[in-house]
Amino acid sequence: MNKTVKEFLHRGLLFGGFGPIIVGIIFAILDKTADSFSLTGIQILIAIVSVYLLAFVQAGASVFNQIEHWSVPKSLACHFSVLYLAYVICYLVNNWIPFDIRAIFIFTAIFVVIYFAVWITVALSVRAVSRRLNQKIG
Amino acid sequence: MKCEVVLDPTLEDKVVVYVKEEDHLTDEIKRLVEGHQAGLIGYHDKEMIALTPAEILFITVVNNKVYAVLPKERLWLKERLYALEGKLPPYFIKINQSCLANLQQIERFDASLSGTLQVRFKNGDTDYVSRRQLKTVKERIGIYYEQNG
Repeated sequence: MNKTVKEFLHRGLLFGGFGPIIVGIIFAILDKTADSFSLTGIQILIAIVSVYLLAFVQAGASVFNQIEHWSVPKSLACHFSVLYLAYVICYLVNNWIPFDIRAIFIFTAIFVVIYFAVWITVALSVRAVSRRLNQKIG
Repeated sequence: MKCEVVLDPTLEDKVVVYVKEEDHLTDEIKRLVEGHQAGLIGYHDKEMIALTPAEILFITVVNNKVYAVLPKERLWLKERLYALEGKLPPYFIKINQSCLANLQQIERFDASLSGTLQVRFKNGDTDYVSRRQLKTVKERIGIYYEQNG
């Protein structure tokens, strides 16, 4: 099996389980705070499975950033596309956003802003670390 | 420089060099002694080559085989990476699951746009620092350069 695919699956399996835990916590909070919160068994099953897959893909997709022979735009485009698809499908199957072009457009805009805000923050912090280490090694 | 070998079976093997200041020769002596202590043997075809740790840029795992990368060649090592970790001098640090980097052979660190910290070695090869190892790498580099200038 290709090394990248193996690493993708490995990371996905390691962290996929965190998805259902987080969704469980959110459901518990909603149950305690919302006036009327109820889910059917099927809705809970869909939420658990879809969020597991979302966390699996999110963890696995980090491998795209470490494929040395890929250019930065290529790895960034793959990472972004895979995450975006995983999120939008997960939100739609759970009815967290309605199946409506306008709603999907707003969701996409929010996703793009958050994705690039996180990306810029990580890039700046790594740059600061590399600068400090370069000063130390002279 | 004078050279004297004292044979005394009651003493521990030790090399002591008295000099006014460190120079190329003292560096070479240190490398020889460290290499002897580490007992590293690299293999290339059917050739066996004794290695001194200081000349190794990094040690990496490729297809489950461990290689010592030198400026112009790479030699296969029989030891596993975790065994080498405890055997090598303190200037070798684990930067990710499959790479032990020689601090003295790192040219610089680069922040890649993908958010990972890249290590560029003096021969131009690169590898990355894993997030899991980042904290340890920062600490080890700080300690090493505080002690060794």
